[in-house]
Amino acid sequence: MVGRYPDFDVMQSADTWDDATRAVVEQRLRSPTDLRFFDAAEAVTAAAFSDTVTAQDREPRVPVVAMIDKKYAESRHDGYRYDDMPDDATTWHLALRGLDEVARRRYGSDFAGCPNEVRNAIVEQFAGGSLQGGVWDTFNCKRAFSVLMRGVLAEFYSHPWAWNEIGFGGPAYPRGYMRLGEGLREPHEKPEALQRDPVRDTETAR
Amino acid sequence: MLRQVLKGSSRPRHNDSAWLLDPQRRGVPNRDRMQRHADSDEVDLCIVGAGAGGSVLAQRLARRGWRVVVLESGRFWDPDRDWVSDEAGSHGLYWTEQRVIGGTDPVELGKNNSGEGVGGSMVHFAGYAPRFHPSDFATRSRDGVGADWPISYAELKPHYEDMERELPVAGQHWPWGDPHSYPHSPHPVSGGAARVWRGAMKAGIDMRVGPVAITNGVMGNRPHCIYRGFCLQGCKVDAKASPLVTHLPDAIEHGAEIRADCRAVRVEIDSNGRAAGVVYVDRTTGDMRMQRAAAVAVAGYSIETPRLLLHSVSTQFPGGLCNNEDQVGRYVMVQGASQVAGRFPDEVRCYKAPPPEVSSEQFYETDARRGFARGFALQTVSPLPIAWSEHVLAGGHWGDALREYMRDYNHWFVMGVLCELLPRPGNRVTLADETDAYGVPVARLDYTQCDNDRRNIAFAKDVMHEIWLQAEAQDVLTIDRYAHLIGGCRMGFSPVDSVCDKNQRTWAVPNLFIADGSVCPTQGSANPALTIMALSARLADHLSHAA
Repeated sequence: MVGRYPDFDVMQSADTWDDATRAVVEQRLRSPTDLRFFDAAEAVTAAAFSDTVTAQDREPRVPVVAMIDKKYAESRHDGYRYDDMPDDATTWHLALRGLDEVARRRYGSDFAGCPNEVRNAIVEQFAGGSLQGGVWDTFNCKRAFSVLMRGVLAEFYSHPWAWNEIGFGGPAYPRGYMRLGEGLREPHEKPEALQRDPVRDTETAR
Repeated sequence: MLRQVLKGSSRPRHNDSAWLLDPQRRGVPNRDRMQRHADSDEVDLCIVGAGAGGSVLAQRLARRGWRVVVLESGRFWDPDRDWVSDEAGSHGLYWTEQRVIGGTDPVELGKNNSGEGVGGSMVHFAGYAPRFHPSDFATRSRDGVGADWPISYAELKPHYEDMERELPVAGQHWPWGDPHSYPHSPHPVSGGAARVWRGAMKAGIDMRVGPVAITNGVMGNRPHCIYRGFCLQGCKVDAKASPLVTHLPDAIEHGAEIRADCRAVRVEIDSNGRAAGVVYVDRTTGDMRMQRAAAVAVAGYSIETPRLLLHSVSTQFPGGLCNNEDQVGRYVMVQGASQVAGRFPDEVRCYKAPPPEVSSEQFYETDARRGFARGFALQTVSPLPIAWSEHVLAGGHWGDALREYMRDYNHWFVMGVLCELLPRPGNRVTLADETDAYGVPVARLDYTQCDNDRRNIAFAKDVMHEIWLQAEAQDVLTIDRYAHLIGGCRMGFSPVDSVCDKNQRTWAVPNLFIADGSVCPTQGSANPALTIMALSARLADHLSHAA
């Protein structure tokens, strides 16, 4: 994930972080442990879903599924559920089963076995709350999407590779920042290498 | 005048907390020599919850010689060891056990609006510390909506002033509500906040820097802010205020015991109808214990305070303690906290500097031309990557589009509103059918907006769009959300309209008090922390004079 900041690696600042923070961030870079929450088949579907919604199509991938697995295996919850939804862990199990059901009905394959355009079409309906049949009739589809996305995004954007891609400076204690104002940059902050402006350049292309 | 001359240097009159901290390490140094009380020892006051309300009450009364025990469900933080400059790694700061949400417009709980551990949710609050306006105390008589308080702004004002000195609060002279100055000077602002400011000026909207409960200069052994931007993850610097650094060191120095990892499950009522103490689970051992006390103050905030009362069933109170008039848990409020992000050609890097920078209360009061009663506040908020991804998702983006908006992170800056949503009896905490690990039913919060609420939020979003237009943002992205909790055990004029009286004494039990934000009958458009603390300081005055 090179993105717009090819010369920026947030881990190069790790020696300026406090010990507690460094331990938490470095742990995310270690090899994932064996699955405890998802079974093997669920993990394949979860990985396909995660790849689809985060547009990860090549290695190295942020190991989102292993990170989510760890979260639920350690019973770390988010603190609420909607009254028309089961708890988040159950929602994951049900939604993954539902994605496979829909994929088999439409394409004759598990969700992970579908080509990208089929996966995208299914996720589009998942996001819009319009998947129907089987498990999808047992809970609120749109809210299930938000439960899964909350899980995926919280893990993906906690990973230093994602920080590198978006140019996030990462932990900043005890160093802090001295240059806050417009146009100012800390000595260790790297400018964007690609001066593409998604707004202006798209308008020009039209 | 004298305070102007001494700006930033005047030491609080009733609180030495900042001078009791260790300049070389975070945490509460005198915790090691904290006084301990036996369960069987009838202390003067047992407080449930070591957050904004409970901590100030403990500190004020301990200073006056009261023997105080505070039961806190969560951990006693050592910030050097327990807190991190990291979003996902800060999960332990929130109340993450199960709760059920319902209603037409459900309020998501967890990281956004809950806290657990010594210091409460102020440990991860952004830091905005505005006062309520005088009008907030009489919205029913003035604006025909909400409720009047049984106390006035004037009764709270001296305590606001004390709290602003003790936190301390930094900001420009404040022109709205009851105009006032702050003890610490305004912080420098980031490039993003400067853009908000310019856009607002062009739109005819006045902004001010602050008010934030973040040191600008040293205060005792608390250092200057280092602008690292992780206010919402717990301040490892000790620059941002939370009771852990602003009140508990002084409370402990004067003999208060903060008993962490202890989950209150029931307020015990004796045969005379008085509170005898608090039954709690020692979460370290799993033992069920009871702390005897001459008086009890519940300070668990808008969800846990009603839950504890509703679960404290007895023959006198079959439907829950203090609930014979069916008032407990009602009138819970949240603020409509939609956020609009603006995109700029240059890098803005919103992760630098504290998220709370500049704000406006120009739209706080009712203006009949807007078509709804009451108003909203405007504030800067700067999301870190996970929060920004939720913002992008709310715009309907996932997959390639989401990744691309995320890559553009450094070009966006975000502002938000706090819309005053009105108190409604059906917006209520009740007990759900499921129970927690200790067999106590979990809380259920139902929430439904009224038409006035919806019009307020829609208008506020239009104002944010106008500011970004004037600031020449190229693109905008909007997320609808809520912030803060308040109400649920409100103070009022009689037992049929409220849970407690003007001095926060429950109508039903003479030695039981509510000491948190759940007593507020309205919420204004202000972040609630300062008001909760000021109310507790006032309650302490009342209790010590009454005793």
